[in-house]
Amino acid sequence: MFDYETLRMIWWLLIGVLLIGFAVTDGFDMGAGILSLVIGKTDKERRVIINTMAPHWEGNQVWFVTAGGAIFAAWPQVYAVAFSGFYTAMLITLSALFFRPVGFDYRGKIDNPTWRSTWDKLLFVGSVVPPIVFGVAFGNLFLGVPFSFDPLLRAHFEGGFLSLLSPFALLCGVISLLMIVTQGATWLSMKTTDELRAKIVKTGIYTAIVTVILFIVAGFWVAQLNGYVISDIKDLGGASNPLLKSVVLEKGAWLHNYSQYSWMIAMPLIAIVTLLLTAWCLKAGKDGFAFVCSSLATLGIIMTAGCSLFPFIMPSALMPDHSLTIWDATSSYKTLNIMTVVAGFFVPLILLYTAWTYSKMFGRVDNKYVENNSHTLY
Amino acid sequence: MWYFTWILGVLLACSFGIINVLWLEYTGALELDESVDADISSKEDK
Amino acid sequence: MIDPTLVELSRIQFAMTALYHFLFVPLTLGLSFILAIMESAYVITNKQVYKDMVKFWGKLFGINFALGVTTGLTMEFQFGTNWAYYSHYVGDIFGAPLAIEGLMAFFLESTFIGMFFFGWDRLTKVQHLMSTWLVAIGSNFSALWILIANGWMQNPVGSEFNFETMRMEMTSFADLVFNPVAQVKFVHTVSAGYVTGAIFVLAVSSYYLLKKRDIAFARRSFAIAASFGFASVLSVILLGDESGYEIGDVQKTKLAVIEAEWDTAKPPADFTVFGIPNEETMHTDYAIKIPYALGIIATRSLDTPVIGIKDLIAEHEQRIRHGIKANVLLEKLKNGEKTPENIAAFNKVKDDLGYGLLLKRFNNDVSKATEAQIKQAARESLPKVAPVFFSFRIMVASGFLMLLLFALAFWYSNQTKFIEKTWLFKFALYSLPLPWIALESGWIVAEYGRQPWAIGGILPTSLGVSSVNSGDVRNTIIALASFYTGLLIVEMYLMIKFVKQGPSSLHTGNYHFEKLTQGESHV
Ligand code: HDD
Ligand code: HEM
Ligand code: HEM
Repeated sequence: MFDYETLRMIWWLLIGVLLIGFAVTDGFDMGAGILSLVIGKTDKERRVIINTMAPHWEGNQVWFVTAGGAIFAAWPQVYAVAFSGFYTAMLITLSALFFRPVGFDYRGKIDNPTWRSTWDKLLFVGSVVPPIVFGVAFGNLFLGVPFSFDPLLRAHFEGGFLSLLSPFALLCGVISLLMIVTQGATWLSMKTTDELRAKIVKTGIYTAIVTVILFIVAGFWVAQLNGYVISDIKDLGGASNPLLKSVVLEKGAWLHNYSQYSWMIAMPLIAIVTLLLTAWCLKAGKDGFAFVCSSLATLGIIMTAGCSLFPFIMPSALMPDHSLTIWDATSSYKTLNIMTVVAGFFVPLILLYTAWTYSKMFGRVDNKYVENNSHTLY
Repeated sequence: MWYFTWILGVLLACSFGIINVLWLEYTGALELDESVDADISSKEDK
Repeated sequence: MIDPTLVELSRIQFAMTALYHFLFVPLTLGLSFILAIMESAYVITNKQVYKDMVKFWGKLFGINFALGVTTGLTMEFQFGTNWAYYSHYVGDIFGAPLAIEGLMAFFLESTFIGMFFFGWDRLTKVQHLMSTWLVAIGSNFSALWILIANGWMQNPVGSEFNFETMRMEMTSFADLVFNPVAQVKFVHTVSAGYVTGAIFVLAVSSYYLLKKRDIAFARRSFAIAASFGFASVLSVILLGDESGYEIGDVQKTKLAVIEAEWDTAKPPADFTVFGIPNEETMHTDYAIKIPYALGIIATRSLDTPVIGIKDLIAEHEQRIRHGIKANVLLEKLKNGEKTPENIAAFNKVKDDLGYGLLLKRFNNDVSKATEAQIKQAARESLPKVAPVFFSFRIMVASGFLMLLLFALAFWYSNQTKFIEKTWLFKFALYSLPLPWIALESGWIVAEYGRQPWAIGGILPTSLGVSSVNSGDVRNTIIALASFYTGLLIVEMYLMIKFVKQGPSSLHTGNYHFEKLTQGESHV
């Protein structure tokens, strides 16, 4: 069907799609989870917020799980190096994520203020930690990750968890967090009413604008960083072995792609324009548009990161030649082919039935609804 | 083909469950020892 | 050389999180079908009591499901965090079913579970019923793909080593999916899940029947669980492991270990019902045997021998020697000597490459392994006998006990005077732990029984670990164990609370505790 090189491009895009699906859907859950503690002050307000996502959070989380599975299937070496290299960060994220399924499901089951406020805090932790860690992890990709391979392709690492927390990486963590909060705010502006909605809208406008500013700052910062460039690679359709190429470091090289493939400029532009539009729509009360714009902004930001790094997935700070790229860290031709067929069938199907469930649950959640269904809702 | 066996088997086990309880419902066997809450068992959903 | 403590700790962590995940998984698998059965009865009869059943058992389902998801998250990423070399070495094959599981199963299950809980007023009856069935089918598909992955670890078909990329690569997707080991494993494991769901409903219903409350509700639940469970327990026992035995190297070894078959006996071999396996003397003390039974069960014939442990060790020693050659040739290929002769010679012995890697535990340079090291590697190419031997017997005993329970439950649930059979209700109530005991023992047989391999005959477990330091792994074990314990306590607390309240927790006004309070207010 496709040749190896094209398949490798397709899977770069598909993993991007899964990550964007995750940030857009689970993103609004996490954003709303953060806002439920920050903005929701009474049990009733928090219940309204939580029940806007009650029917969906579970399906949304699968974007994350599937992105993990897809990275395993399409980029096994990346799955191996990223998760063991960021071992502590990964386990902190997982532990934070534990609180979400149980928090959602157990919180409403007992009517006791201590019980509920404890779960509120844990839900907040589960919502706030993952976006920060993912942002920091992306930031570290731009800086290079300290790993190298031995001849048997076993990865070795230097540096611990704390070395991940450099200023640039932290900036990325903050951007990621604010992007997710904005996403949550636009979702809630669409799903809630009255004062609660008014408070959320105000926050959303604020976070959208700060996100734009920080995003631009990060852009200038990246221009100062050492970027990675492949100086010599034999065959873009060759065997997946990351030891067979040469890589050089060059200041500002992370922006080279934008001159080489000019269409890529669209990505940061989309991010900036839609974030500003999000703020404007929120102000103008165009809730549906605000949600669409914020989702597009999420797409723009993630694609900007992807396009800047392209074709690198995980640059190595220890041995730049050992960096993982889409040309030499993928699974075999056969596996990519099979997975393309499977994804080509299932991704549209998933989008179809997911859209159906959202349309069935369409509409705002208010206090009255929560009171009337007190025993069945979260 | 064990997958095929599974499809048949699950269908069989589930229909077994459904048919059994419908049969008990039909023969009235389920009502025989009930005095406490017989009203529930005959209540139709609105 | 790889730190042996790291290997130990990584194994403990995996065993702990997997066994823990599997406390919740089987209940999801079984209860989801029972909910679908109940809701089908509701849609057919239109009786309120069936709707209440779906909602009440659904509540318990939800409490369990939340922890199934939580612990599943760890599983999904643990291969990367703790088994990085494993992930690199076999990800080309192993990753595919995991990704398909997400796309085909988790999305389905998790999207429609939202409709199950929150769609009652938004969907038509038939749409809601469909959602419930889709949840059940979704969770079973998830079992299918993960067991295809696990089946491949036991019997790695459809794949080949590629020296250019230093890993296993897929040669046939169909072989992977239709792997006979995966097939039997799937049928056996999901049936075990159905049994678990059925015992759960049976035991909790029995509790209400013993307390003589909400009888109409409990009796119907009991009848459904008894019939569904009866069919399932038959399937676990009859179909389950039919042919799992005969295929693949790991299975051959595992069979010998399960049966503590030290020497290859003249066919048909005896079956050891009970005994105390002794690793030192390579003999089973105090053995009670049934003549010919093993030969007939394991080979379905009277003249095929069941190969004993001592012969397997000798066979493995041979393969280790071939494996050394394979490793030497691989070294040459990696150093650029890719002559056609070298490639041809490598291809001839590459099936035993993994056996050579068994030596890595003793000597980093496989080609320099001493005679004593080869002998030791061969001796340790099988798991210890006792854990597998006893786990297997515990599983089988639980299985037969549950068969008895379901046969009685099914028989009496169709009788009059059913309500007076308190001994039956007690039997059912006390049987609640049985499926979990059987399940966890089953996994120990399957997973410990395949040691020292992570991938049967291909990748030793000890090589699969990540290059992390063992202190970090120890910390995560402690952290995970405390998280998991805390979550389990909360879960049990909620389960018990709602089980005690029973259907009164639905606040429909029709059940025991609500009537009591209504009755009081009348007086
Ligand atoms: C035989 C069945 C079975 C087995 C052996 C496993 N699982 Fe599992 N898993 C399920 C059956 C299941 C399930 C029944 O489908 C669960 C339980 C509760 C649930 O939500 O789905 C589930 C949940 C579940 C989830 C959460 C899905 C979600 O968010 O909806 C993940 C990520 C995994 N599992 C991953 C794994 C991995 C990586 C395993 C192996 C190492 C594994 N499971 C073994
Ligand atoms: C949920 C059900 C499962 C249970 C209860 C279970 C149980 C276990 C146990 C007890 C061990 C430890 C063996 C030992 O170290 O002595 C183990 C190891 C392992 N299992 Fe499973 N297993 C399950 C499912 C799976 C599945 C589905 C896979 C793969 C898809 C898998 C892959 C592994 C791996 C990679 C190890 C590595 C550690 C080792 O071999 O020691 N397991 N499992
Ligand atoms: C009485 C008859 C039973 C027999 C003969 C039997 C046999 C076996 C065997 C040989 C294995 C190991 C398969 C392998 O390593 O590949 C196994 C695994 C297992 N058994 Fe059973 N079993 C029985 C009953 C049960 C029951 C009642 C349950 C649970 C309710 C159960 C649950 C499991 C599970 C979860 C596994 C691990 C997954 C697998 O490998 O299939 N078994 N069983």
